[in-house]
Amino acid sequence: MMENKVEVSHLTKKFGDLLVLDDLSFNVKNGEFLTIVGPTGCGKTTFLNSLTKLYDITSGEILVNGEPVNLKKHNIAYIFQEYSTMPWLKVEENIRFGLEIKKKSEEEIKRSVDWVIKMVGLEEYRDYYPRQLSASMLQRVVIARAFATEPELLLMDEPYGQLDLELRFKLEDELIKLWKKTNTTVIFITHNIEEAVYLGENIMVLTNKPTRVKTIIKNPLPWPRNVSDPEFIELRNKITDLIKWW
Amino acid sequence: MKKAVQLEKIGWVVFDLLLLLLGWIFLVTCTSAKDTFPDPVSVFSMLFTSFVKPIGTYTMWGHIMWSLYRVMVGFTLASVTGIIVGIAMGSSKIAEAIIKPIFEFLRPIPPIAWIPLAILWFGIDEASKYFIIWLGAFINVTLNSYVGASRTDETLIGAARMLGAGKRKVFTRIILPASMPQIFAGLQVAMSSCWMAVLVAEMVRSNEGVGWIIIRGTDTGNTAQIIVGMITIGVIGFILTTAMSWIERKVCSWNTTL
Repeated sequence: MMENKVEVSHLTKKFGDLLVLDDLSFNVKNGEFLTIVGPTGCGKTTFLNSLTKLYDITSGEILVNGEPVNLKKHNIAYIFQEYSTMPWLKVEENIRFGLEIKKKSEEEIKRSVDWVIKMVGLEEYRDYYPRQLSASMLQRVVIARAFATEPELLLMDEPYGQLDLELRFKLEDELIKLWKKTNTTVIFITHNIEEAVYLGENIMVLTNKPTRVKTIIKNPLPWPRNVSDPEFIELRNKITDLIKWW
Repeated sequence: MKKAVQLEKIGWVVFDLLLLLLGWIFLVTCTSAKDTFPDPVSVFSMLFTSFVKPIGTYTMWGHIMWSLYRVMVGFTLASVTGIIVGIAMGSSKIAEAIIKPIFEFLRPIPPIAWIPLAILWFGIDEASKYFIIWLGAFINVTLNSYVGASRTDETLIGAARMLGAGKRKVFTRIILPASMPQIFAGLQVAMSSCWMAVLVAEMVRSNEGVGWIIIRGTDTGNTAQIIVGMITIGVIGFILTTAMSWIERKVCSWNTTL
């Protein structure tokens, strides 16, 4: 197995004359949980969209497992900020969706769905439509759908941005549990510094636009993390100082 | 609870109909409208006898079957072609660029304006009638299917693509189901348009149909016959749209607006 899951070199992205991503270079190791934090509107989403080929890049290179990204070949899951449950599919059908697209056998689908639906605590809601679920449950369906496909790379773009604090912590703990169980490589984007410190093994800090990598900080805090721990607060303040543009 | 709500709804419908009837009685007894407007007794007696005594060649059953057949042929053709054209426009920029200008040009032209061309192209028999009814419904189905497909949530398309769905899968598993509520809304409006168009269509040489009953009533100054035709169209239209709403609730049970 290669050491690096993702290799980004000299990534540049322009929209017309507007330079958004300016010569980004970094690597993400296999099984790493990387959080990316930066000022609002700095181009974090543009980076993920470039990584998944939703946007064409202007120059540079993004490799997954040492080769250019290929969504048919690489098993990548992307969780958006907006809830992306299919409203016409019930909870179980939503979770099956990705597995059916990947043409897994019925036996595999059933096994994966049963495992993941239990993990996210939605067993009793298999036959519910998304309209019958709360915001946190909707996001859990999306997370379950992503993990059911056993992705080698999971990309998350401020997935808990619309949730209240209590639900956010609950889902963040669930995410850490799933990540530890599956050893999936995770790139998690957020503008919330506390969330970045709470989740990340490594924290990448981006600059204001045009976006560059300011620094990557190794997070030494063990799990479960405590937001009121002095070390946690110290790290959070350090990152806040790095992001400050005022 | 649900039963009580339904009973309340039925109660309001009965109240509405009674109000309409009272207004009608007032109009023909207390105003000068009685000279040109038939009273409810003569209209309903004509309506009921029309089911056993022919108006022209057929009883009301025969006329209903003729019109229903014409409407269903036009409606089915309009549904199939409208959904295909609308979804194509909504999901492909090229199809939209090619079809939309022509569609927008043809859209405001009423079906009645097509009668001379319909006769020239399809003759005076059934084909020209189907064409006019199809035209009346096609615009609504196309427009709604187009709106449904073009407004498909980009997040859902992105999510499906990220899970490995190609263009075909995105179309069949995302765009098509996401468009269903809008398509059904189009079909509902199209059904009403078909019954409007059947009147126009039956102006083209015909001796049967509910539309013909109205046209014949106009020719002979028989206002009771005109209203009998109108009531019949209203009742059949109501039954068909209710049936369609029921199908929609079954097919789109996930839709929050139903």
